[in-house]
Amino acid sequence: MAGRILLVEDDQQIADYIVSGLAEEGFTVDRADNGRDGLFLATDSLFDLVVLDRMLPGMDGLALLKAMRAADVPTPVILLSALGSTDDRISGLTAGADDYLSKPFSFGELLARIHALLRRAAGGVRQAQETTLRCADLELDRLTRQVKRGMRKIALQPREFRLLEYMLMHAGEVVTRTMLLEAVWDYHFDPGTNVIDVHISRLRRKIDDGEVRALFHTVRGAGYRLAVD
Amino acid sequence: MLRLMSAIFVLQVLSSALAILFLRGQMLDVVRIDRERQVIDVRDDLLAAYYDGGREELADFITARRGSAADPAVFIALTGKNAPVLSNLLRVPTILPAARPQPVAVQRGVGQPPAEGLALVGQLPDGERLVVGVVSLSERRIDLAFATAAGLTIAISVLMALLSAAVVGIVISRRTHLIAETAAELASGNFGARVPIEGTGDGFDHLRRQLNLMAERIGELVAQLGAVSGALAHDLRSPVARLSAAIDLALARVEDPRAIEALQSARADADALRAMLETALEISMIEGGVVEDRRRPLDLAAVAEDLVELYDPLAEQSGVRLEGRLEAVTASADRELVSRALANLIDNALKYGGKTVTVSTGMRRDANDVLWAEIAVEDNGVGIALADRARAVERFVRLDDARTRPGGGLGLAMVAAVARLHGGSFELSDPSSGSKGLVATLRLPC
Repeated sequence: MAGRILLVEDDQQIADYIVSGLAEEGFTVDRADNGRDGLFLATDSLFDLVVLDRMLPGMDGLALLKAMRAADVPTPVILLSALGSTDDRISGLTAGADDYLSKPFSFGELLARIHALLRRAAGGVRQAQETTLRCADLELDRLTRQVKRGMRKIALQPREFRLLEYMLMHAGEVVTRTMLLEAVWDYHFDPGTNVIDVHISRLRRKIDDGEVRALFHTVRGAGYRLAVD
Repeated sequence: MLRLMSAIFVLQVLSSALAILFLRGQMLDVVRIDRERQVIDVRDDLLAAYYDGGREELADFITARRGSAADPAVFIALTGKNAPVLSNLLRVPTILPAARPQPVAVQRGVGQPPAEGLALVGQLPDGERLVVGVVSLSERRIDLAFATAAGLTIAISVLMALLSAAVVGIVISRRTHLIAETAAELASGNFGARVPIEGTGDGFDHLRRQLNLMAERIGELVAQLGAVSGALAHDLRSPVARLSAAIDLALARVEDPRAIEALQSARADADALRAMLETALEISMIEGGVVEDRRRPLDLAAVAEDLVELYDPLAEQSGVRLEGRLEAVTASADRELVSRALANLIDNALKYGGKTVTVSTGMRRDANDVLWAEIAVEDNGVGIALADRARAVERFVRLDDARTRPGGGLGLAMVAAVARLHGGSFELSDPSSGSKGLVATLRLPC
């Protein structure tokens, strides 16, 4: 799934890494190094996604974002911030950002979020009203809160249920630890140790143990993916 | 304080004793001079009678106790060729001639004890001897009077000394306590604390002024230090971000498993560095009060329950029993920050804390009757020595036995910063059971 991405970032080195990394993944990347050029590009051309730095010369990222939304440009935006407090995240999201990432972030994290946003924009994420989520022979019923792998019923703790629900909603995508912490636990900090890994491996044992085909996959340097591979 | 009070007391008693002794000497002198004058006055009266009417007139004056001879303290004896004429005397006292009245022992009546007196003896022109004297009050009686006075004075001095010492003590103690309380606030990290200046211009005011100056200086230095570490953390973020990005890029391109392993380890270090910078930055922001006020009524038990649940699989994997003893308690708090703080405490306890970690929440009333919402994480690990506890909550401090283990040394500093931001406190203490281990308590205003 490739696409066209606009990167608005003034730091030359970070921009280079992001551009070459995204190009590597098959994206076409345009870059602006200041807010005014960024806004011009964002409103003028058709991009699938904008990666926007919050601190920019000329016009700051939040103002750019607001101007974009005021001009009815619906392109999904990931806001990057070097400030890193949760206040920024909230003000960023209210200004119309679709996701928020604080610097420094790993490229894997950015990539996973780009994919998730593109998928969501393409209508790939299963809707909230869908009662049954599936991946291969794994089935999760949101009403009865039952989980089955083939004919095998799997008993899950409430949190494991939400974890699996999120993984199923993002089946096929890379889901990072931070995304899981945000979505399943509503924490916007990184507890640092491998807390999430242990939760995943617990869930993975319940889902994949004794099965021929594993559905849980670890993605090096990024996170996890639920898929038939 | 006690020594100062007793010194004041001893000085007071000593000075009154000296005063009494001096008074006694003066008074004895006055009494003696008075008696001497009386003796001379009586003698002059007698001599006048003698020159008026000769020996008969004198004898009559004596026996009739006329004039100055009427004083019952006066005794007179006229002796010579005739039978002695005595007034107030049983017999003639023995006395040598002298210019001034001499002390003498006299027997004044039958069955009366001998008394002391001052007397003069003189030769009349007809060869008769005239003894004139005054019975003096015995010195013992004066001494007794003085002893009584002294006793009274000492009693009063004791009372006064105690009173003044107490007053001085209370005043000094009140002033020093006020100063000490401010010093304690400074020690607890509130560098805005100041002692009120009373404008008395004395040594206490001087002390207050100096303490305030010191507090100001410490505050500036700490702020500078915080700003420096904040700026440092901030400036290091971009290089670290580029470092991570470069490692990721390399990771995606290499196939050699040994290179991948090395890059992954570099990646983990870069992540740890990033987390440390983030925490350091966050502490600076919290301490600088730059974070937005996101306090809302928050059930600490729910916060703790979520985190216990988050860490439970990790604890189980490391063979630690993690349990919650949660009592619903609401505090006005920032969920994100309190969660971070508690995550740090649980993380710490899991790393250093032995085999059982208990997270508890509840309400406590402190010594000043103020209600606090508490979150405590108790473990039965090696604990932290009492002397090291204050240092343990400082930034980038890791204690010797913790140095070999992972962790950036920022965890507890972060918790302390969160506590301060909320107007609460953070304390490390021994488990109440008396067993080894550590209790880390975060107190927030209810």
